[in-house]
Amino acid sequence: MLPENTTAIVARNERWSGAAASEPLEAGWAREAVIFVRALKTPKGTQPKARVEISPDGMRWVAEGTEVSMPAEEGGITVLRVKHFGNWLRVAANFTPGSECTVLVTLHLKA
Amino acid sequence: MIDMAEALRLAMQRADPNLSRFDPLPRLVSLDDFSRGHCGWSQLVGNYEDDLDSMLPGYAQHTSPMLSTLGHWDAGSHGGMGSSYALKIATRPKAGAQNVAIKRHTFRKRGPIRFEAYFTFKPEANELTLSETDVRSVGLLFDLQGGDRDGDNERVMPHLRFLNAEHGLHLQKWQFKTESTPFRSLGRSDKTFSHYHLAPEGWRDLPDGVQRLCYNEIPTKVNWTYLCFDFDLESMRATGFRCNDRSFDMAGFDSIRIPAMKNLWCMLNFALFVETDADKRAFLYIDSVCISGDF
Repeated sequence: MLPENTTAIVARNERWSGAAASEPLEAGWAREAVIFVRALKTPKGTQPKARVEISPDGMRWVAEGTEVSMPAEEGGITVLRVKHFGNWLRVAANFTPGSECTVLVTLHLKA
Repeated sequence: MIDMAEALRLAMQRADPNLSRFDPLPRLVSLDDFSRGHCGWSQLVGNYEDDLDSMLPGYAQHTSPMLSTLGHWDAGSHGGMGSSYALKIATRPKAGAQNVAIKRHTFRKRGPIRFEAYFTFKPEANELTLSETDVRSVGLLFDLQGGDRDGDNERVMPHLRFLNAEHGLHLQKWQFKTESTPFRSLGRSDKTFSHYHLAPEGWRDLPDGVQRLCYNEIPTKVNWTYLCFDFDLESMRATGFRCNDRSFDMAGFDSIRIPAMKNLWCMLNFALFVETDADKRAFLYIDSVCISGDF
């Protein structure tokens, strides 16, 4: 049987500001994850780093170490790649006051 | 007295460990146990045109379902009935939030369809309390329309939910609904429309539909519950509903009925949904689904 792979949309047209994060996703079956963050509208203000976070329970989150700058313009896409994440995955970013980005966050998971 | 072919079918089905816990009709449409992936259960995305901002808020909140081992902070992975995995549908952490997973088919013949599933539900275990009223409801819906030559031009959407709690009251009853919201044009082309059939208004109690399900004694213990919903695509009527040891009279049940859409002929969609009653995520877990028909 072919190995499972799937695309999960965890944030669609969400306006991220302040302490923002995608909804938790369980992906313990997957050996690798590629995460795309696309700016659907022109970002406002200084754009922070987006970081991968992992969790023991889906409620308490720890930075995994992988991070990348948020997209700088409308249509811009940034990519995060992770291989060792246990079960829970999310993307988080801390925006300074007045800055924001409307995002599409997609997780591409492969067994 | 059943004939030899039917006796043979039943014997083979009951000897098959994957099928034995179901009572399928003669033809299997799908058997999903989620140890082989998502099995076609995907996110219900709302309609839009030109701009995602045109999507109705009820749909904009949806996210993708996931494969889960029901991993809990205190007890580890619970697992499914026959494998480590179940399908998980999760709401956002805001009272009234909903999420829906859908499987989209079309039908070959208008006749009886049976939807069976083993499911359970729990809120996110972020409090050391029983939390038995934190999940508002879990339920299923079909989205159906006849063939393009059939003449009875209706789109029919049976909805059935277990209203576990509302505004903190533990109600534990089955409900159905016959109303949606008015259709709204989403763009300038007059081709894309949307309505919000899971709006909180319009739910009605199923007669004698109170049922106390097994809700284990802390938020991280779950028990699987059996559900079987029968619907006849010919008459577009519900013909039966069972949950565990209870069988419900569906004579008073009806569906949302709206004029046929110009592009949804023979549609046979199955959807599962969950709603939260508290500012915490609610989870609907599906161990397995068996969809069968008589055709």
